[in-house]
Amino acid sequence: MKFKLLTRNILTGFFLFLMAGGVLAASPAYRLYVDGLSCPFCAYGLEKKLGALKGVQRIETNIKDGAVIVTMQDGLALDEATAKKAVKDAGFTLRKLEAVQPIPPNKQEGHAK
Amino acid sequence: MKTMIKTGIAALGAAAVTAWSAPLTFNTALPVQEGGYVLREQFVFMKNADDPTPAGRDMKVSGLVSMLGYGVSRDFALFGMLPYVDKRLSMQMNGQEITRSARGFGDLTLLGRYTAYEHNAPGRTLRVAPFLGIKAPTGQDKARDASGLLPPPLQAGSGSWDALAGVVLTYQTLDFQIDSQLSYKLNRAANDFQAGNVAGFDTSLQHRLLPRNLGTGVPAFLYAVLEANFVHAARDRVRGIADADSGGRSLFITPGMQYVTRAWIVEAGVQMPVLQHPNGAALRNDYASLPGFASTSDVNRP
Repeated sequence: MKFKLLTRNILTGFFLFLMAGGVLAASPAYRLYVDGLSCPFCAYGLEKKLGALKGVQRIETNIKDGAVIVTMQDGLALDEATAKKAVKDAGFTLRKLEAVQPIPPNKQEGHAK
Repeated sequence: MKTMIKTGIAALGAAAVTAWSAPLTFNTALPVQEGGYVLREQFVFMKNADDPTPAGRDMKVSGLVSMLGYGVSRDFALFGMLPYVDKRLSMQMNGQEITRSARGFGDLTLLGRYTAYEHNAPGRTLRVAPFLGIKAPTGQDKARDASGLLPPPLQAGSGSWDALAGVVLTYQTLDFQIDSQLSYKLNRAANDFQAGNVAGFDTSLQHRLLPRNLGTGVPAFLYAVLEANFVHAARDRVRGIADADSGGRSLFITPGMQYVTRAWIVEAGVQMPVLQHPNGAALRNDYASLPGFASTSDVNRP
């Protein structure tokens, strides 16, 4: 009985460890709403500008919504002023920036920096 | 003969001003990212014939126009255009057909474009950008053949420093793009020849054919393109005297296609005359084909 309880506790602990590790591994992400983005060639220029920012790990653009999801490296944040400048330098306008649910590494389909 | 390829050369120069996701035959006001480059290569083949004189002149100009754009700042971009041309003129003389030709790099055009007005909204942008440029006489302008010095329009270069200015407006949405441009080229004299100044009004409509419905991500776009170019060329001057067989007005249309991806574009179009009112015995334009390729890169690329 004690052995079963010990095994269950070990498994539970291991499961919680994995869960915590998964959450910690998920990187902070932001959704940028960009005005003026209306062609694939323009999207490339914007992605290059954002990709040059420190700590950017991944960029995923959805041209239909004018939205760019920027995933940062662990422990690094993207502030609005920095994002605004990068978008502006690429020739566009940042309308809004919002933090989004981190995207698990195995579900990321965007372009690595 | 002095004027027969003038319109063709003007078209070659105009084509060289084009840029990414842009009209085939003229400029756009779309941005070049700060510190970013845009490279465009455009092959041009033009045929000018329909000679009203017994000489039966037939002029063919083929060339490769290289354009490099650089984003100095978010609003100011510099462009450099350099054509490589091959010009051939065939005509009847004393019952025999003779051909004169020249080939080589043409004149370098440097152009600065500033975005003076910009309005961005979700999925669309409106921009107005004036531009100013100079054409440097980098091409050979004293080439000779067995018959002697080639006439100025047959030379790869003009020998003169010329200026051009204009303004371009672009309205782009996810579904279509409209560009319009007003331009004026001021030609100066060299080698006792001064090509007439050229005024142009161009407009272009690009409509997205594919994908019909946008999903997620950034799919490649296939555009159908229709452009119209109105050109008014003043008379050339030879030793200060206006040449009656030069200049005139022309209206061209250019149907074409563009396939635009994130990092490169392939495109093709055929420019055809709709209306031509050349002065005197100036040659008419038959057509010009404009296949091309463009790509972009960034100096900050990791």
